[in-house]
Amino acid sequence: MRLHTYAIIDSSDQVDEPIYGLEGARVYNVPYCDMGAIVSELGAGSIQDIAEQGILAHEDVTEKLMERFTVLPVRFNTIYDGTEGVLAMMQSYYRDFRDNLDRLSNKVEFGIKVIWPSDRIRESIVNARKKSDKKTTVPTDSPNRKFMRDKFEQYRLSEELENRADKFINIMDMFFSKFAAEKKLKKLRTEDLLLDAVYLVEKDKQGDFKEAFEHIKSAHAGFKFLFSGPWPPYNFVDLTKNTDSLEDSPQRDLFDILIQDRELVGTDKI
Amino acid sequence: MTISGVVETDFPEEFVGQMQKSNDVLPKRIDANPQNVDRGLAKLVLTLIDLIRKLLEKQAMRRVEAGSLSEEEIERLGETLMKLENRMEELKQIFGLEDEDLNLNLGPLGDLM
Repeated sequence: MRLHTYAIIDSSDQVDEPIYGLEGARVYNVPYCDMGAIVSELGAGSIQDIAEQGILAHEDVTEKLMERFTVLPVRFNTIYDGTEGVLAMMQSYYRDFRDNLDRLSNKVEFGIKVIWPSDRIRESIVNARKKSDKKTTVPTDSPNRKFMRDKFEQYRLSEELENRADKFINIMDMFFSKFAAEKKLKKLRTEDLLLDAVYLVEKDKQGDFKEAFEHIKSAHAGFKFLFSGPWPPYNFVDLTKNTDSLEDSPQRDLFDILIQDRELVGTDKI
Repeated sequence: MTISGVVETDFPEEFVGQMQKSNDVLPKRIDANPQNVDRGLAKLVLTLIDLIRKLLEKQAMRRVEAGSLSEEEIERLGETLMKLENRMEELKQIFGLEDEDLNLNLGPLGDLM
């Protein structure tokens, strides 16, 4: 029997509330010591056939569990061969799971993405340069020297853009970090995507965190913001043990997962 | 089915576009099969060559910035880097590759360039 795994929780008790997962199957706990793996039984069909509803059902189960337990979300499409397969995985990862459950207890994840007006900022840097470089223009450059000069201008521009990006990110992060236990930041994943960050926030600080976001948002006219959460702590589960069974379980922002397939979540629904 | 986590933004299309863009530049694997093995290999080799070229270029710019190059050295470096760039353009055209094709996903290390 194939078991689809949703999350590891900090309880070995059965789930009282009926929760239904993939293919409408009721989920249950496979207990191991003081924790458990939440699974549901899968039919014989391919999981690709149910991917669209499946990802949302998977997330729905994880969020319902999050209300009552500390959860370590498991990647969609993580399937084990029967209870024995699940228990073998639990045995193998017990210490890691225990450490993560303790660390992530009572915490949730929020995502923040920021698009900055990179064209406008680039233009302002170029204009400032033009003013200050007027006196130093040398009209008699050879093609080789002109090439070097153009390259050097591009280099200075990209360095200056990076500096400005760092400054904006530092200011924003200073506010968000006040209410966060942990964070992961990615700078300039594209030219326009200034910041792609996830923050781990204690449940009783969610309001403060949101308030800090609103403050930053209102202070940055011309920037575009996306705020998401609370999510299970997808990006903060750190497994030190490395085996094939969980090798392909990178934690990712739910937003990233959803937009992998645009048909899955129409943008009007976001 | 309801999802309680919310996604709040006034610009959903733009964020979807940006996230797709950031994922699209990261091919998961070198695309090599009997029909296009030349292109797949060329993509890998040119990606590595272009990485080295960009590193050289950046190092040269740092030296220009530091003022540690003589006029003659700047002239010579300019010629070398320009020829390298032109040659890369020719090779990309031969194998039908664009700038955004020259990248590799290094897993947890992120993208190569």
